[in-house]
Amino acid sequence: MLEPDLNRIPFTLLDSGQRRRVLEGLDLGYYATGQVLLEAGASPECVYLILKGEIAEVDPLQTGDEAWIGHYTPGDLFGGISVLNGYSRYRFQVEQEALCHLLPAALFRALCDECPAFADYFRQRLADKTQRLLARRGAFGSTLAGFMLAKVRECLREPLIVSRATSIATATALLRERRVDSLLTGAGNRLGMVTKSDLLDALVNGGSTPRSAIGELGHRPLIQVDIDDYLFAALVAMTRHRIARVVVFDGREVAGVVELPDVLSHFSSRAHVVGLQIEQARDFDDLVAAAGGLTALVEGLMAQGVKLRFVMALLAALNARIVHRTFEFGVPESLRAQSCLMVMGSEGRGEQILKTDQDNGLILTDGNAWSDATRQEPLMAVMQDFSERLQRLGYPPCPGKIMVSNPAWVASESVWRGKIARWASSRDPHSLMQLAILLDARAVGGQATLLEGLRESLFRRCSRDELLLSHFARAALRFGSPLTLFGSLKRREHGVDVKKAGLFPIVHGVRTLALERRIAATSTLDRLDALVDDGRLDRAFADDLAEALALFVELRLRQQLERLRAGGRVGDDRVVVQRLSGFERDLLREALHTVRAFKQRLTHRYHLEY
Amino acid sequence: MNAADANASGKAVTLMERWRRRRGRQVCDLRYRHLFEPYEGDEWVALDCETTGLDRRRAELVSLAAVKVVGDRIQTSQALDLRLQRPESLSADSICIHGLRGVDLLGGETVGDALARLLGFIGNRPLLGWCIDYDLAVIDRQLRPRFGFALPNRRVDVRRRYARWYRRARPSVEPDLRFEAVAAALDLPMLGRHTAIGDAVTAALIHLRLEREV
Repeated sequence: MLEPDLNRIPFTLLDSGQRRRVLEGLDLGYYATGQVLLEAGASPECVYLILKGEIAEVDPLQTGDEAWIGHYTPGDLFGGISVLNGYSRYRFQVEQEALCHLLPAALFRALCDECPAFADYFRQRLADKTQRLLARRGAFGSTLAGFMLAKVRECLREPLIVSRATSIATATALLRERRVDSLLTGAGNRLGMVTKSDLLDALVNGGSTPRSAIGELGHRPLIQVDIDDYLFAALVAMTRHRIARVVVFDGREVAGVVELPDVLSHFSSRAHVVGLQIEQARDFDDLVAAAGGLTALVEGLMAQGVKLRFVMALLAALNARIVHRTFEFGVPESLRAQSCLMVMGSEGRGEQILKTDQDNGLILTDGNAWSDATRQEPLMAVMQDFSERLQRLGYPPCPGKIMVSNPAWVASESVWRGKIARWASSRDPHSLMQLAILLDARAVGGQATLLEGLRESLFRRCSRDELLLSHFARAALRFGSPLTLFGSLKRREHGVDVKKAGLFPIVHGVRTLALERRIAATSTLDRLDALVDDGRLDRAFADDLAEALALFVELRLRQQLERLRAGGRVGDDRVVVQRLSGFERDLLREALHTVRAFKQRLTHRYHLEY
Repeated sequence: MNAADANASGKAVTLMERWRRRRGRQVCDLRYRHLFEPYEGDEWVALDCETTGLDRRRAELVSLAAVKVVGDRIQTSQALDLRLQRPESLSADSICIHGLRGVDLLGGETVGDALARLLGFIGNRPLLGWCIDYDLAVIDRQLRPRFGFALPNRRVDVRRRYARWYRRARPSVEPDLRFEAVAAALDLPMLGRHTAIGDAVTAALIHLRLEREV
């Protein structure tokens, strides 16, 4: 009758008898806006399960924005941890009149005693909870479907058709040239297939010579599939006939051949395919085609439940290869040998999943021909062209003009050092931002040693400068407490800007610590690992930060993919909390708590209290 | 509890109340005398029943539910939810509304037992419900021959209360007084429509909601 949906975490941890007891034990509460449900320090009488309305969690000792701790909406559960602790840490207050199911504290405690997994749910740290979410997603696989629904069309090789009179030698040469394993003989409806092993067999056992015509070597009958069949069907056909390739027909015409290794790599990971395409690109147009497959690749991997950390690493590698190949195609050898192309910002940290703005710069060796003032114009023309190529690959230009087409980001080593010194001593927000951008730089083309030298001088200049570090760290606190954004609840589209609320404080805070500890790694996750080894952070906290970061990236990514699919632009970084599942909201809240704790540590370390 | 106490707590002793107490003294069964005492607490009981028809002189009880409202809280975990034995007049028309078929009523309570449990549950607490006069009319008709009295409890018809509130808030608009429409207008969920317990809880929610509006 008045049953809430118990088919979700944490109630799924209970057995059916316990769930029935939950249903029978529930009361219903109705609370007016502004009413305090649970005072800080008070001992709660029940656990609340919101049916309608919104509840805010506030810290009564703080004022203003700092006071906001959490925000709960229909489907959320709160008060569990307070019941287990015996008191509530914060005050729970009705934000919008609320209707809640109430689970009496005594019953809740009894359930926790009976079912340790249920109790653990309320005690777990963020990292554990994410594990659970991942496990669940793996189990139900939101989506192997995407892969299962691939069509034959997507995995097709062009047919290599030769006449029956072709000699074995010519056929072998053709096979090698086209890098395929099989060819079709004959024409029209009298087709045969000849594979490498057929040729080998004919030469060794069949008494043919390299001059003999391939003639009747072709197999009959051919196993066929239609071009619009599911790829899965092709795989089934191969398995059934114990063969490694099938011929694809588009109506009555031969459209191509599907080979077993291609199908398998398609099913296992398209990453391999995209990677190959990038490496094998013979000219820039090939590269453009290969780069087009990246978005689909990300979606596929996400759907498979691959951990975001690995997706990011893979994508960073692929993006770097794309930029590298573009650099090769578009920039003359003499310049490449004397310079280092670096990517910066999120790309430099390897944390950009979809292709976003190009943030890049160029370091030239001192005293080389291209850094001469007279060569300035041709150099910039090359760089302009390079930027345009990247744009064609789907990397939009950086609105802040942090890219090689801007002369400010193309300079020789000594000029770069001068810039660093100037930025470090002026300490105004603009300079600090430039430093931060440069700190994340990663070499993707040319001489990587140039960037290493530059980073070394950056560390030398900045890592001991307490005043600079303090100014530098302050930016991490710039967007105030993220939970303030919950304050505007009355608006329709109240989302959380995950970039400002979560990503930026973590990334920048970790970047500051890395600067201080002279950690050369650029990815936030690698920096966290290095900071743990360094003793600056404890392992548990670093794990929580890493999970929080991964969660923010994932939420943002899902939203971006959705928008792309709807045909729009990637757009802003707001995540609409109401669209998340209860469990994800729970994770988001914990992630924001982690960010808050991190900010407090930063405040303490860099004396940002005032 | 006497008249002096009632006065002290600020409530006027109405003529109605005096009459009720005198009626109470005439009830021979001592177990039910307390029903006639004036109520001093802050609890309510939301009441609803499903019947075999809409004619209050003929309809018979099919199911009966009551739930206490204490402060902000609707005590659904301790609700009274009773099915009765199949009445003579159970017809297809009414089954289509409340969904309780003849077989669903097998093992139901006799009307006498059900009413005795109801009296024990509600005590002298004030009652509330959607069109509660109808429900009480049917109950009283069964109560009188068996217990010798009708329910004396104070009662609030949530529907009338809503209409009054609505007309005061928006005098020029005629309110939509269907149960579903009212719940929707107040942004309340409809919990188990046409089950006695569901309707009782919805009525209680409307009551709590209106309580906060004034």
